Amino acid sequence: MPPVRTVRGGRKPPPDGFDDIEDTLLEFANKMKDAENASHEGKKKYEMTWPIFQITHQRSRYIYDLYYEKEAIDKKLYDWLLKNGYADPMLIAKWKKQGYEKLCCLRCIQTKETNFRSTCICRVPKEQLKEDQEIQCVSCGCRGCSSGD
Amino acid sequence: MADLPPRPPTGLPPLAPGWTEHKAPSGHLYYYNRETKKSTYTRPVSEAYGHQTIPTGSAQHASNTGSTSDLFHPLTAQAPITSQTPSNYQPQFYLYGGPVEQKPKRGWQHAPVDQQRGGHRGGARGGHRGDHSSFPDRRRQQEDRPKHRHDIPNCAPWVLVKTKLGRRFVWNKETNESFWKFPSDVMKGVVEFDRKEREKRERRERGEPSDDEDDAAMAEVEAELAAAEQEIEEAEVVSVEGDEGMENEEEYEEVEVTDDEGGDGFHTEQPSKRQRTEEPTEDPGMEMGEDDMAWQLAQMEEMEAMAEGYGDEDEEEGLPLTEEDCKALFKELLEDLQINPYTPWDKILDGGALFDDDRYKALPNMKARKECFDEWAREKAQFLKEQKAKQQKLDPKIPYLAFLHAHATPKLYWPEFRRKFKKEPEMKDTKLPDKDKEKLYRDHIKRLALKPSDLKSDLSALLKAQPLASLNRDTTIDTLPQSILTDLRFISLPGSTRDSLVKTYISTLPAAPEGAAASAEEEAEAAKKRAERQRREKALADRESRVREEKRKAEREAAYGKHRLREEEDEIQRAMKVGKEGLRAQLGEYPGQNDGP
Repeated sequence: MPPVRTVRGGRKPPPDGFDDIEDTLLEFANKMKDAENASHEGKKKYEMTWPIFQITHQRSRYIYDLYYEKEAIDKKLYDWLLKNGYADPMLIAKWKKQGYEKLCCLRCIQTKETNFRSTCICRVPKEQLKEDQEIQCVSCGCRGCSSGD
Repeated sequence: MADLPPRPPTGLPPLAPGWTEHKAPSGHLYYYNRETKKSTYTRPVSEAYGHQTIPTGSAQHASNTGSTSDLFHPLTAQAPITSQTPSNYQPQFYLYGGPVEQKPKRGWQHAPVDQQRGGHRGGARGGHRGDHSSFPDRRRQQEDRPKHRHDIPNCAPWVLVKTKLGRRFVWNKETNESFWKFPSDVMKGVVEFDRKEREKRERRERGEPSDDEDDAAMAEVEAELAAAEQEIEEAEVVSVEGDEGMENEEEYEEVEVTDDEGGDGFHTEQPSKRQRTEEPTEDPGMEMGEDDMAWQLAQMEEMEAMAEGYGDEDEEEGLPLTEEDCKALFKELLEDLQINPYTPWDKILDGGALFDDDRYKALPNMKARKECFDEWAREKAQFLKEQKAKQQKLDPKIPYLAFLHAHATPKLYWPEFRRKFKKEPEMKDTKLPDKDKEKLYRDHIKRLALKPSDLKSDLSALLKAQPLASLNRDTTIDTLPQSILTDLRFISLPGSTRDSLVKTYISTLPAAPEGAAASAEEEAEAAKKRAERQRREKALADRESRVREEKRKAEREAAYGKHRLREEEDEIQRAMKVGKEGLRAQLGEYPGQNDGP
């Protein structure tokens, strides 16, 4: 999701350290804009949203890594980023759980929406798939995000 | 067939366990396994060695059935030359007389390879040529093909082409002719070219950086060559013709060729040294001259000695390069490229700046690199954070006041001023609240209306209030203390008068009191770090050279082993070809018999 900007001027200024990551975030924002404006010609219907999911994933992962793995940003800035929609807190919440460390998107683990009450194909570990089976899931274009891969 | 001088047993691959070596009545070695009661002419070697050698045998058979396209390959092109020495040639066939299967002892079993060969030979026995071709053509197993192309200086259309096996021929781009023998005018150019190459290599060995342009040019040339391979193939026919012409004139010794076995090893060291070898491509089916044999053995010995020499050196020199060092090297690379620790890893890779450096290869795989990057980024971010904390907080007022000093006028009210400079970073800065900005602006405008003399006295009062530690004779106009810069009284006067006032005041001040000289320790630490870094870099270079050396050594050994094996197989072949008289002929003629029919 793109950062939601309220019209009222009461937007809090970003905490310290934001200018370090501002360039990268801007790049993500530009990429997202391009993806939003890209033409749908020649794409399947379900393919159209893939780049959106992918960029969201990348950006969330970036912020997650900075905060949890590299500890390069502090809590204040992290909270501010989440509040302003730079990362998806629900997705990050899943990454903290065992077995979901690489989860591509929330839709892929939403079992209630599938015919057989199962997760998406991209959640299946590679060794359980057939030899040389190439998969790309319908919801976000993921090629496999099981933790064991 | 016993023209071979006794070979030194060194260099033979070790026997597999359980096998013993014996001498057959014909003088040939065979191998017997007591447990399995099997015997064979082919030397049974231990597993690891066998894996390497067996596939090559089958490859020989495959390549033996060469198609007509073989004509082009320079090696094949030379085959007719070798067959021009009939004195050795004829007697061989005589001796190879009939397809006799030799069974020297009861209970002997021929190894499958031998049987297969026997059958093959029997089928192909037509004429001399047929017989000849039935030999596995081992020299041809490596197909020769053009590998590098160099422009010859001052001989515009002529191009020097180096083949995979290290032979060289010249090719005329325009007329599409190529010759193994260099025409005299081209010869001069080639000599010149060789000289240059040698110089370049020497320079490189001395560690001077080779010019990148050259490499780029080489790459381009090679790419071109790949495209032009087709053309060359057509040109080959011409080259063959040229060859035959030469052969008639018996000038083929002039052809610039290097031995294909020694070649690999030798070329890495002195590729430009042109070796005028005696005929290097004897057909394995032919008798090798005694001289050839001796020469080759000498070369091998030399090679071995050299390899050992290298090995010794390696053990002496070569700093150890631990895992930590590798990591440190990679981190230094990141440091040197001034990579922002906040950028994602994918983006750094996309940038591609990493790949050009040698230190990129210090780590074995991508996963290790990513881990190392993460670690580095964590450390670096921490370091930056600490540094920022250590640095005194730059008061957001300072740039704002400087901005006011430059732009504020009594003609503009605050809202007008704010609107006019809305886009300026000083105005957008969120660290200083808008309320403060407005207050500062209003105060500043109010002060601008005061008399200049009052302003001057205010400024001198401000300067006098500063302690000597922060403001002294060593301070310059650019390094004024923060307490001055954040004061409105400092910006009230126009720049030129203010600066001169401040300067004159500073010049009257005494020197600074004893400051803390804490930099000595830091300096020592920095020096230590630098030394460590140099050591690591040297270690990396050493490791690379060692790896190169080892590779070369391994190649050389492999070539040597292959040659040995081939020789042995040859010998066995000869042993198999016992004439009608049977063993007696062998025994009778064995000592010293060479080419008497």
